[in-house]
Amino acid sequence: MTFRLRQIEQTSDGREIVRVRNIDQSTLSLGRATDNDVNLPDLAIELHHADILRVDEAHIEIKAADTLGFGVDGNVTLFARVDCRTGAELRFGTFRITVSLDDDGAAVLTIHPCEETGIRSGNLDERRAFALTSVLPGKRMLAWLTASIVLLAFLAVPIISQQFHAVHPKSAIVGDASWSPGKLSLAHHALESRCEACHVKPFQSVRNETCRSCHKNAHDHAPPDRMDQARANPPLAELFLRTVAREFGREGPGGCVDCHNEHRGLAPMAMPQQKFCAECHGALRDKMADTRLGNAGDFGQLHPQFTPMIVTDPGTRALGRVSLDTNPRERSGLTFPHRVHLDPLGGVARMAASIGRGHGYGNRLECKDCHHPTEDRVRFQPVTMERDCEVCHSLAYDKVGGIFRKLHHGDVDQMIADLSAASPHQPVVTGRRRPGEYAPGGAYYSNFASPSGGGLVGRALSRDGICGECHTPVTRGGRLSVMPVTLVNRYMANGWFDHRAHRQTPCASCHAAAASTSSADVLLPKIAVCRTCHAGENAAGAKVPSGCAMCHRFHPPNVVPSRVGGV
Amino acid sequence: MSSLPRNRGDARGKSDAVHESFLRHARYRWLKIGALVSIMAAAMYLVADIGPYPNGGTWYGYTTGTIGALLIVWLSLLGIRKRAMTPGKWSLKAWTSAHVYLGLALIMIATLHTGFQFGCNVHTLAYALMMLVVLSGIFGIVVYAMLPAALSNNREQLTETQMVEGIRAIDRQLNDSAQPLQRSEADLVLAALSNNPLHASAAARLSGKYPRCATQQAIDGLRAINPQANADPSLARVDALLVRRKAQIDRLRRHLRLKGILEVWLAVHIPATIALIAALIAHIVSEFYYW
Repeated sequence: MTFRLRQIEQTSDGREIVRVRNIDQSTLSLGRATDNDVNLPDLAIELHHADILRVDEAHIEIKAADTLGFGVDGNVTLFARVDCRTGAELRFGTFRITVSLDDDGAAVLTIHPCEETGIRSGNLDERRAFALTSVLPGKRMLAWLTASIVLLAFLAVPIISQQFHAVHPKSAIVGDASWSPGKLSLAHHALESRCEACHVKPFQSVRNETCRSCHKNAHDHAPPDRMDQARANPPLAELFLRTVAREFGREGPGGCVDCHNEHRGLAPMAMPQQKFCAECHGALRDKMADTRLGNAGDFGQLHPQFTPMIVTDPGTRALGRVSLDTNPRERSGLTFPHRVHLDPLGGVARMAASIGRGHGYGNRLECKDCHHPTEDRVRFQPVTMERDCEVCHSLAYDKVGGIFRKLHHGDVDQMIADLSAASPHQPVVTGRRRPGEYAPGGAYYSNFASPSGGGLVGRALSRDGICGECHTPVTRGGRLSVMPVTLVNRYMANGWFDHRAHRQTPCASCHAAAASTSSADVLLPKIAVCRTCHAGENAAGAKVPSGCAMCHRFHPPNVVPSRVGGV
Repeated sequence: MSSLPRNRGDARGKSDAVHESFLRHARYRWLKIGALVSIMAAAMYLVADIGPYPNGGTWYGYTTGTIGALLIVWLSLLGIRKRAMTPGKWSLKAWTSAHVYLGLALIMIATLHTGFQFGCNVHTLAYALMMLVVLSGIFGIVVYAMLPAALSNNREQLTETQMVEGIRAIDRQLNDSAQPLQRSEADLVLAALSNNPLHASAAARLSGKYPRCATQQAIDGLRAINPQANADPSLARVDALLVRRKAQIDRLRRHLRLKGILEVWLAVHIPATIALIAALIAHIVSEFYYW
């Protein structure tokens, strides 16, 4: 009933040494402590790990002494019964023990050291392990991975879906939002996710026709041949850029996208820069001898004097453009001195104070009493006799009961008929003398003397009569009449002046009405007045840097620039 | 990056015989060229009429974009060029010097190319990747200039194999000395022995912080179980061995940290370069696809 221990050790040169020891006991103790029969120096093994019991001739039993088990043919257990004839492999920590039976009946336990027990931490001397790359994903793998993701997400997906969309227009294009360099303007916000609406064909810059598919009313600025003439002989750098642009298939010069830039953020579309206008208009006179326009490249430095459209012949109502530099006289057909009406100490002021309260007048007449802004406050409504003059300049000529009979303003024939048939019961105006200029012989004397027969019409239409006070009496076709009045409502037809934007500024800062003694004065400010605040787009010290598009519109007809009347 | 001595009779041949870093190559020739390119780009940006507003789609944008893209391709070719060390005017050192300084000039060229128009799109992605590449490159140059001395000091003339052998020798002694220990004590030593200091994550390597170091835990644990360690000679021996192991591991970890910092920039620089080239292709193609 003996055990035979065969301890196999390896020498440093690789030879195996086998030590054999017979132990004539029925029980063997096994463990890390040196007092065990089988000493296995491994920290993973208990000091007293297990007992091995010879049960009979052929069998042994192995019992773990504590809770740590051992391996039997690969299975970990706390107890095992082994037939020595068939054998088994036990495992304790790093040691392997094979069980067999010798011919002499001894149970043989062959102890193999599995590995060097001192080095549990694995293979330390692998040089690669020192490199950081040993614990990082490989550079090459990472490079290919990220590059593939980028190419797939930002190139392949959008292109493939765009191509698919070209064939199946109902399918959506995916991933092209990542190509957008910035948000579209407010006007085009609805197209934000539909790139293909403008970018119709791959590798082709946005076409004019695409813009015009929506903007059908965008007219050309001028006839194409005139535009070409104006664009001729560009500077060398510009010529080079144009040539390159044409080589790459860009439209222009003068394409929509040349001036209108998108993808600049969710805001009103940026105003085209003055350089686009200045390219032609800066030296237009040099390029086009027959143009009536002056050179204009910068409002502060190069812009002609204003040439408003004024009435040059009241009889035919002919209008003509005259430069303010020539101090033009307008012949509107009306006699109206602003100075008299605006004088704070004059008779008009007194009259406004006494009879105008019900009409909103103050202690004197002010501009707003006669000039009413339009609804958008950009300009002013035409002045009308009935609303703006008649409060003071009464046309009543008779009183029947409590009713005043009034002349029909604007209809000379009706006026003649009314006065011819008139038999006033009492004169509307008594013979009492009116003061100052309103007295007979004064500039504003109205002869309301008791009419008698056909002479009434003649008196009303005479220079001193009720009509002649404001109108110029003339004879037309052998009949008494007055010169027609033509009041220009918009002097600058090609520029946009927005009164609303200037509402903080008193009228008198620009319009010298208080000093005007004649309605022939053109009370428009000259460009120098505007330049006290406005200068060119890039002017450093300007109160209001002003590009061309602030007042002018590139595309005729006269569509209001988005700025005018807006905010 | 080290120069090869050239046997030429001129004055410059003499100066080449001593070490001259790629940063100083040819009296900072490429630094001057890079600076000149940057200043020219900036001056043009400020002076020239770039309309309608500065962005990649103007003539200036296309010019700087073309230059930048070609530069990026050329810069990335260093990865191929570096495999052939050659002397001469177009030596690898000259090439590397140009790589560094033209790479820095790229910051100016590419930034002005953008016209400062940034957004959440593929174009800005390409720019961001480019900046990542350049900044990681700058980091690489800085650590190459600063860390090798620290690395050498830490090693104290030891090779990496010797460092490992030292730990191994201590481990064998620890294993023998710890045999008489009780289970709980033996487990602590076992855990320390099972720990491979080279099996450390990138974060641990770079930060040098190992809060759950098994060796330190073994030292602390043994001292907690046996406050009077000196009373038991085998415990005292194990404790001394563990402290020695800890010191050796600390040195190895400092070595790993310095070496890691020297390598980590390249782990960013190279993949980011390839990703940049991909993003650049996507940027250019998309720009003209939706022109």
